[in-house]
Amino acid sequence: MEMRDINYDRSEYVETASGNRVSRRTVLCGSQNIVLQGKVIIQSDAIIRGDLANVKTGRYCIISKEAVIRPPYKKFSKGVAFFPLTMGDHVYVGERSVVNAANIGSYVYIGRNVVLGRRCHLRDCCVIEDNTILAPETVVPPFTRYSGSPGIQVGEVPECQQDLMIDFTRSYYQHFVPKL
Amino acid sequence: MSNYITGPDVVKYACSCGLLKPITRLYFCRHCLELRCGFCVCHEVDSNYCGKCCENLPSAEARLKKNRCGDCYDCPSCKQNLSKRAATVGPKNPEDPKATPRKVYYLLCLNCRWSSRDVGIPDQAAATGSWPERENVHAARLQEIIEMYKGIVLAEKQQKMEKDKKKQRRFMTFTDRTGITASMLRKRIGLPDIPHPLLKPKPKEPEEAVAKEEVEEFPEELLTKPINLNEITTLEQRLNLPEWQPTTVDKLFPIHKQVSVKRSQRCRACEHNVSKPEYSPTSIKFKIQLFAFYHIPEVRIFTVEPLRAGKQCELLLKFSNPTQHQTVITFLPLFPSEDSFASKEIKELVPDEEVPSREIVIEEKQPPSLPGSQPSSLLHTSLSRTPSITVKPRPIKQAITANVELPTSNFVLLPRDDAAEFDDSGDTHNIQDDTKLVVWRKSNKAVIRLNITPLENLNIGDEVVVGFTMQHIYVNTITAVESKEPQRYNNNVKVFQYLGKIVGSE
Repeated sequence: MEMRDINYDRSEYVETASGNRVSRRTVLCGSQNIVLQGKVIIQSDAIIRGDLANVKTGRYCIISKEAVIRPPYKKFSKGVAFFPLTMGDHVYVGERSVVNAANIGSYVYIGRNVVLGRRCHLRDCCVIEDNTILAPETVVPPFTRYSGSPGIQVGEVPECQQDLMIDFTRSYYQHFVPKL
Repeated sequence: MSNYITGPDVVKYACSCGLLKPITRLYFCRHCLELRCGFCVCHEVDSNYCGKCCENLPSAEARLKKNRCGDCYDCPSCKQNLSKRAATVGPKNPEDPKATPRKVYYLLCLNCRWSSRDVGIPDQAAATGSWPERENVHAARLQEIIEMYKGIVLAEKQQKMEKDKKKQRRFMTFTDRTGITASMLRKRIGLPDIPHPLLKPKPKEPEEAVAKEEVEEFPEELLTKPINLNEITTLEQRLNLPEWQPTTVDKLFPIHKQVSVKRSQRCRACEHNVSKPEYSPTSIKFKIQLFAFYHIPEVRIFTVEPLRAGKQCELLLKFSNPTQHQTVITFLPLFPSEDSFASKEIKELVPDEEVPSREIVIEEKQPPSLPGSQPSSLLHTSLSRTPSITVKPRPIKQAITANVELPTSNFVLLPRDDAAEFDDSGDTHNIQDDTKLVVWRKSNKAVIRLNITPLENLNIGDEVVVGFTMQHIYVNTITAVESKEPQRYNNNVKVFQYLGKIVGSE
């Protein structure tokens, strides 16, 4: 099915020189620690906690409404330390999802209402279905589909997932247009 | 809104085996020029790897370790990954003032909080390895039985080889002529038969299992003691540990994580690979990737008017060409009429020289590996393997609930151009399109208008499915060895669209 246009209010969004479209109604803490590589969409009411540690996204990432991107912490004997969160290219994060992962590869699809536990590692080309809860420190191998609570592998994704995600995020960006 | 990642799949293609699959799940064998799906290719294990530590295991080692990773563990209670935790304990001899606190490690499940301390596994001084392995009480007996069966297999193999050897013998021996074998001769003169030097003695049979008559007394407490469900394992937990099948939670022990495989897929008809991943477990690249998504034009539903039984409505489909070559798309009916079916039968029997092709440039589809089609080619006759299995196509079981008015004209799809995305010059194609058919076009994509009529007898809520055969020109670049010119084929693909449900009349 061809994607429909998603209209946004021109006054609500800021577009940077590299093509990032960031809503004004987001909570970006510690914005000096947040790196968006370009053509990234951050929709309204999303929260990115750059004040805890560095957050770095690749190109063509989509952070949907009310999603939370929060660097993971690890407890040590002398206290707590936060670790940077990196995200590859062409990653989609669904609405109301909480991302606590340490590392998200490229071409990853994260559905709605997903919770990724502390220090999860998501490798390239994996899919987390809607309403999944991943336990902390889970490793998701490439080309797998995780679902359930706690999330377990339920299937595989097609081998052309890379091109599917490129096509999906690109067309999302192209169809994310200001209201006329 | 549906897409390929979340589904549902609204456009399906018919595989050559008769199953309907979305284009993302199909392969295109460019040697047979047929669509293949996961059910009609050979799956081969390329490498074993652990999904958690992403390390390759050689296949011999994987077999030895029963296809499990040596370092990673799963929680026996909830099957999630176990992580290693460090804890500090006091020094070995507390009297020594210089001694530093030691670091010890234990396993902890971060989902259900099960830990190796719960079942009394001692903490380890090193983080990796060295976790105590549990031995099955019947391990020795199992090993004995396995060895016996291995011996039997070996003996049978030897016997078969002996038989083959006997068959191969062409020359006559003296004993054959007289009808007396050496062993018979030995018996006759009273000497003991010597065993064949190559034949091993019969495999040693293990002790037979003996049935016991006296069994344990029925434990009375099973009836009297109230059950604490928190102490009893679930069926799933028991089956996760098939060697022990513990009944109580204090006997749950960490499970070695099962390894995953990388697999390559091979066309069954011509034995060429259609998919071969790179060796590294974390890599997502492929050495061979003949996915239909890269070779067959993709059809997407653009929009469809509300569907009403018996009323004509408009369906817009978006076609995109994934290849580097221009193609022409023609619509054909889904099922060929009787005449064309008969002619196809003939075509398969007679080599293509005798069949007058409709166009000179475009050859009729003929698998390039068939002998006779290219007699002088080194590549095709001597090197290519003969088809091992001919897969008989099955009928497609999909009811069509709408008629589609097939357009008589065809249209051109331009080659894919990755730079087009950055090109702002606009559409500079000079293609004369049938304006009734082509609604919109940009780089390698075009939107087509089709008129469909759902069947009269459909009720509200019935699914509407239409289908047609898409003929496209496929340019095969692998056969370019002898003729330099890439060969072009007409390839037919049956495409089905699931348009949704019938709505009420106005």
